[in-house]
Amino acid sequence: MKKFYLMLLLAVGMLVLAACSSGDEEASGGSGSEGSSGTDTITAWAWDPAFNIAALEKAKEAYNGDGEFEVEIIENAQDDIIQKLNTGLSSGTTKGMPNIVLIEDYRAQSFLQAYPDAFHPLTDVIEASDFAEYKIATTSHEGEQYGLPFDSGVAALYVRTDYLEEAGYTVEDVTNITWDEYIEIGKKVKETTGKNMLTLDPNDLAQVRMMIQTNGSWYVDEDGSTPNLADNETLAKAFETYKKMMDADIAKIVSDWSQFVGAFNSGDVASVPTGNWITPSVKQGADQSGNWAVVPMPRLDMDGAVNASNLGGSSWYVLNVDGKEEAADFMLNTFGSNPDLYQTLVKDIGALGTYSPAAEGDAYAVEDEFFGGQQLITDLSTWTDEIPAVNYGLHTYAIEDILVTGMQDYLNGAELTTVLENVQGQAEAQLK
Amino acid sequence: MSQQSTKKGEMDLPVRLRYKETKREKTGVFFKKKVGWLFIIISVIAITIFNFYPMVQAFLLSFQSGMGGNLEYVGLENWKRLFGDPTFIAALTNTSIYLLIQVPLMIVLALFFSVLLNDPKLKFRGFFRIAIFLPCVTSLVAYSVIFKYLFGIDGIINQFLLNFGFIPETINFLADPFWAKVVIILAITWRWTGYNMIFYLAALQNVDKSIYEAARIDGANAFQQFFQITVPMLKPIILFTSITSTIGTLQIFDEIVNITNGGPGNATISISQYIYNLSFEYTPDFGYASTVSYVIVILVVILSIIQFRVAGERK
Repeated sequence: MKKFYLMLLLAVGMLVLAACSSGDEEASGGSGSEGSSGTDTITAWAWDPAFNIAALEKAKEAYNGDGEFEVEIIENAQDDIIQKLNTGLSSGTTKGMPNIVLIEDYRAQSFLQAYPDAFHPLTDVIEASDFAEYKIATTSHEGEQYGLPFDSGVAALYVRTDYLEEAGYTVEDVTNITWDEYIEIGKKVKETTGKNMLTLDPNDLAQVRMMIQTNGSWYVDEDGSTPNLADNETLAKAFETYKKMMDADIAKIVSDWSQFVGAFNSGDVASVPTGNWITPSVKQGADQSGNWAVVPMPRLDMDGAVNASNLGGSSWYVLNVDGKEEAADFMLNTFGSNPDLYQTLVKDIGALGTYSPAAEGDAYAVEDEFFGGQQLITDLSTWTDEIPAVNYGLHTYAIEDILVTGMQDYLNGAELTTVLENVQGQAEAQLK
Repeated sequence: MSQQSTKKGEMDLPVRLRYKETKREKTGVFFKKKVGWLFIIISVIAITIFNFYPMVQAFLLSFQSGMGGNLEYVGLENWKRLFGDPTFIAALTNTSIYLLIQVPLMIVLALFFSVLLNDPKLKFRGFFRIAIFLPCVTSLVAYSVIFKYLFGIDGIINQFLLNFGFIPETINFLADPFWAKVVIILAITWRWTGYNMIFYLAALQNVDKSIYEAARIDGANAFQQFFQITVPMLKPIILFTSITSTIGTLQIFDEIVNITNGGPGNATISISQYIYNLSFEYTPDFGYASTVSYVIVILVVILSIIQFRVAGERK
C-alpha cells in the first residue's frame, strides 16, 4: 500500500522528499549556505569512482588558485544525480544542491533549457576555443557557455589484428573505411575464423547514433527539439546499414553491458566499434595484449561523412548557488587551464579530456604495448578534433526509445520509408 | 446524545450503580473523546500533509505542462496528448495484459497451494509453507536480476531446455516481445503467490471443521467441498487479495526496469515505468507525468468498484 501512495504522488511527493533528504545531506556535509560572502566548502557531484571521481580527486590536488576552500567530492550513480537535480531544481530550492555537477552531453540541453537560471555561465571564465569544437554546441545555450567540456567520447574501432590477419586483412584495410566495406570484411572474417565481427544490442541504438554523427546529423533539427526522422537521409542510411549487418549475420546479439564486455574479453568478436572509454575494459583481456589495434570509426557511405564520431562523454557545470564564484575559480584553475592535469589524467586514470592545449604533452605520446605500440592517446585526440559538431538537443533518449521499436519493425521486414514516417509521427505525438 | 443514552440506560441499571455510572460519563465522555482524537490526530495530520495534500497538488499538476520548472496550465491538453501517445498506449496495453493474465493466475495458484498446505495429514507442512512464502522476503531488485540471468541467452533455463531437447536452439527470451512478457509474468507470480497464500491460509484456520465433516457425511467429494465450501468461505479474502494484487500489478515497476527495462522496443514497458521515464529519463515534464499517474488512480478506482460488484456481498 505504501508503494501505491508513492506511485500516486510521484510527481509531487518526490519533490518534497528529495528536498527534505538533500537538506539533511547539506547539514551533514557542512556545505553551509550561511554566510553570503566566501563559502569555505564547495561540493561536487559525479559518478564512476574509477573515472570522473578519480579525475576530480586529481583536480583537487592540482588546484593552484588563490581560493581558500575545501572541495567535497560526492559520488552518486548517474541516474541518482539526474533525479536529484530534477527534483531539486524544479522545486525551486537551492538547498542541498552541489556547486559543481557532471552532466552527460546528451542530457545537457534538457537541463539548460528546463532550468534556465539554475546554471552559472562560464563564458567569461574559460576559453571555449581551447576545447574540442564538437563539445561546445552541446554545452552552451543561447550564446552563453555553461559547461566546461570534460571527457572525450571520441568513438573508435577496436580491432583484433590476429583475426584480421587470419582472414587476410591488415590494419590498413580497416583504417578509414565505410560501414559497407566493414560489413564485407566482417563476412570474410566470419567465414575464415568463425568469429562474429561485432556485438549489437537491439535495445540500444548507440551504433546508429555513432553512424549518423559521422555525417553531422542527429535525431532532431538544428533547433534541438523538432524531430528529424522521416526526411533524414543519414538516418535512413544508418538504418539500412544496421539491417545489412544483421542480414550478413556478422553480429553477436547481446542484451546488456556485461555480455557486451564479455564478448570481446573472451575473444568472441573481431572488433568493437564504440567510445574510447572502453579502453580499460578491452585491456582486461590481458592475454590478448598485442593483438589489438585502434583505428578511426568507419563512416557512412555518403558525401560529407567523416571517419570520426562520438559516443557519450560529459561536461562539468557550475550551479547558480552560493559559492558559484569559488566553484568557477576551481574549475578554471584545474580542468579549465591546466594542461599538466590532463597529462596526469591520461597517465593515472586513462581519462582523455577535450582540452586541446594538453595534446602536446608527453603523456599523450606514450606508446601502448597492449595495442602493439600504437600512440593511442595521440590518435584519439586527433580524431576528437574531427568529430562533426551536432546539437544533441532535448530528446535524444525519448526519440531513441521510439526508434528502437521502429528498428524492430524494419528488421522484421517493414518498408523503411513507412517505418521512418511512423516514428516521426510517434515522436511528434509524444514530444509536445 | 450521551446524556440521553445514559438516561435510557438508567432503567436497566441497579440503583447502586446508577449514580456512579452517570458521574463517570459526565466527566469522562469529553476526556475519552479527546484522548481518542489525540491517538489518531498524529496520523490524520501526517496523512493529510503527506498524502492528501500531494494528491491535490498532483491533480493540479496534471493540468500543467512544460520542461522542468517552467510549468504552465494547459487545460485538458495533457489528456488529449495521452490518447494520441503511442508509448502510453503501449504501456497501458502491457499493464492490462499483465493484469488480466497474472492476477487470476496468481490468485488461483495461491488458493490451490493454501488448500493443499492446510491439509492436516500433510507431512513437512511448515517446510512447504516457508518455501512458498520465502520469495516474498527477497528484494525486488535482487530477484529481478536473478530472473534476468536465468532467462538470459546463456542462462540456465536455455541450457536446461536445450540439453533436454525441448527446443532446437536457444530462445532469446528477453529480446522477444512475447517471451519477455512471459518472463515478467512468471517473475511476478513467483514473487507474490506466497504472499497471497498466507492470507488464504490464515482465513482457512477460521473455517469451522465441522462444516467439512458434515459435507463429507452428506457425500460431497473434494471438488464439491472446495467450490461449495472453501471458496464461498474465503470470498472476502479473495476480494481483498484481488484488489491489492490489481493495485500492485497496475504499479509494477521494479521488475520491468530490472529484467527488460521496458524492451524489446516498448514490448514490456509499464505505466509506472513510463511515468519514471517522463520525469527523469527524458526531458522532465512533471505535468504530463502526473496526468499519466492519475490514469492509474482512475483505473484502480474503476477496477475496485467492478471487483466489489462482482464478488462483494450486496449490502
